[in-house]
Amino acid sequence: MKNKTISVRVSLGEYGLDAVRYAAHASSGAAHVFIKLAGSGAALVEFSPTGSVPAKKIAAAFRSELAEEKLRAAIYAANRELRDFMILKALSKEEAPVPAPQDDSGLTPEQEKELDALIAQVESEIKQEAAAGAAGDPLGITRTWEDKYGAKKSRKKN
Amino acid sequence: MAQKKAAKKTSAAAAVPPQLFWRREGADFLVTNDFGHYAWLKKKDFDALAAGKVGEKHPLFAGLSAKGFVRDRLDFDSLAAKWRSKNAYLNTGPGLHILVLTLKCNHKCLYCQAAAGGAGARDTDMTPATARACVDFAFKSSNPGITIEFQGGEPLLNWPALVAAVKHARSRAKAAGKELKLALVSNFSLMTEEKARFLMEHEVSVCTSLDGPADLHNKNRCFSGGNSHAVTLKWLKYFQKKNADQPAGIRVFKPSALLTVSRYSLSRHKEIIDEYVKAGLEDIFIRPLAPIGYARNLWDKIGYEAGDFAAFYLKSLDYILKLNRSGVVLKEKMASMMLDKIINSRDPGYLDARCPCGAAIGQIAYNYNGDLYTCDEGRMVGWEGDEVFKVGNVFRDSYRKVMASDATRACVVSSNLEAQPDCARCVYKPYCGVCPVYNYEVQGSLWGDMASNDRCGLFKGIFGALFARLKGPGSEALLKKWVEK
Repeated sequence: MKNKTISVRVSLGEYGLDAVRYAAHASSGAAHVFIKLAGSGAALVEFSPTGSVPAKKIAAAFRSELAEEKLRAAIYAANRELRDFMILKALSKEEAPVPAPQDDSGLTPEQEKELDALIAQVESEIKQEAAAGAAGDPLGITRTWEDKYGAKKSRKKN
Repeated sequence: MAQKKAAKKTSAAAAVPPQLFWRREGADFLVTNDFGHYAWLKKKDFDALAAGKVGEKHPLFAGLSAKGFVRDRLDFDSLAAKWRSKNAYLNTGPGLHILVLTLKCNHKCLYCQAAAGGAGARDTDMTPATARACVDFAFKSSNPGITIEFQGGEPLLNWPALVAAVKHARSRAKAAGKELKLALVSNFSLMTEEKARFLMEHEVSVCTSLDGPADLHNKNRCFSGGNSHAVTLKWLKYFQKKNADQPAGIRVFKPSALLTVSRYSLSRHKEIIDEYVKAGLEDIFIRPLAPIGYARNLWDKIGYEAGDFAAFYLKSLDYILKLNRSGVVLKEKMASMMLDKIINSRDPGYLDARCPCGAAIGQIAYNYNGDLYTCDEGRMVGWEGDEVFKVGNVFRDSYRKVMASDATRACVVSSNLEAQPDCARCVYKPYCGVCPVYNYEVQGSLWGDMASNDRCGLFKGIFGALFARLKGPGSEALLKKWVEK
């Protein structure tokens, strides 16, 4: 008697068909479940117990699962894009290709000549400034200790 | 008017948590998300969170925000980093390569899944040339770290192949600049000083089986050549001493042991754990029997229900924690690996519990003849005459072909938890994994049916026990110590 098939009618206006399916999966360990449409706005879910769990208990568990499934569906639907974005972000960071060192600067030969000339000019200016700077440092403040006094000498007394 | 309604709808949608798995445990709710975070909530707090009503003034706002449960307070970089760390294995190829050096064995264990032949069996030894070819194949993996595990049968029954594989692997690792770990799983009955020295000189770690006190161990692990328990302990002590001494120029690893729980073990958790402590082991890996291979034929004698194992596991876990409180250093390995995911969001390399499972993309089993399988369990199914998990052969197939084989793809697809109707909604999903081989053997399909799947029931029992203990401040601190690094 307790293994008798039991049917639960679910309004598809209140619960989506996916929610019905997922909730039914939770009962598949205790019963064979058959889902069919009952008109345009409802589904009929039949449970045929396969073990000792009574059909009524299985149906009650299904109803409880259905309510939770509705919440899961709402959360999932509201966040699908966000979730996809997060997973893609997590995956893409690792897979982002390391930029390969470029063989050339991407400049035209004329631009490269111009750049070389500019660099040479800047280097020459730096040298001139350095020489002028040294002349303007009579106390040798910009020189290192070793430049001024030489390497460390032994303090050993003879 | 229409615009107002749309705005209201968007606002309501934005308020719900970005992702939420939950399970009611008594009066409380355990909630988790794919980033690996979890929290225990009272019903009113759960209702508030689910309804998107955990605002800045809510006492749990800061904690739940930091864990990615509050939609408009998501730290994208930190959460993505967590997800990436927990799923680090997705970016690498197979790291574990199991070489079955021989199917011969001198033990006849009650639960053996390895389909071992007798010690005198012919034609089931891997040749040294095949062993080297297996090593070459392993080094084709894109994984920067390779672990080669020598198994059987009893691998010491084919010493020449082991030596060939070890030497070749060390030389390949040096040339390739890859990290290499070598491991031997042996019953130690054929171990000698000379063999031990070779293993230590080549940094091969050793692992054995220890099923508990002598009477229980020897009942499970029948050895016609002597006392299996005594031999096991003798060599465990030997390698422990060498590890403590660290002879000059050699790096010796701590030996480890595996426990397989048969029906005879179920009433003896304390004795088993005490035996591990007495043997100087600091880890115990409590593994359930699987009705695969030889064990399936004897299931009515040595097998048990998932609930029986769960009860054994919980008693064991609590006993270990009790010992920890009195200063004994001992960890349960499965719990440690699960906790590493739960607490540290780290991938502990546990191939049985990840998504997708490690079949072929995380591990490859190399049979004695060079045939390749998704995993060692898949190889055992092959030995029974069903080659559904065979992915190729080292001599005939390219690495690319193996990775793209039908069996590899089928295992990846069927062990993707997103596509498993029960798992995709399970509170333990962020830390769990299914086994297509188990499903195939026990339920007749790679997908299985989780609602009636004993392995699923068992994992749920273990996760339930761990989360319950993480709730208690005393046990939480102890468990966190297990995965401190």
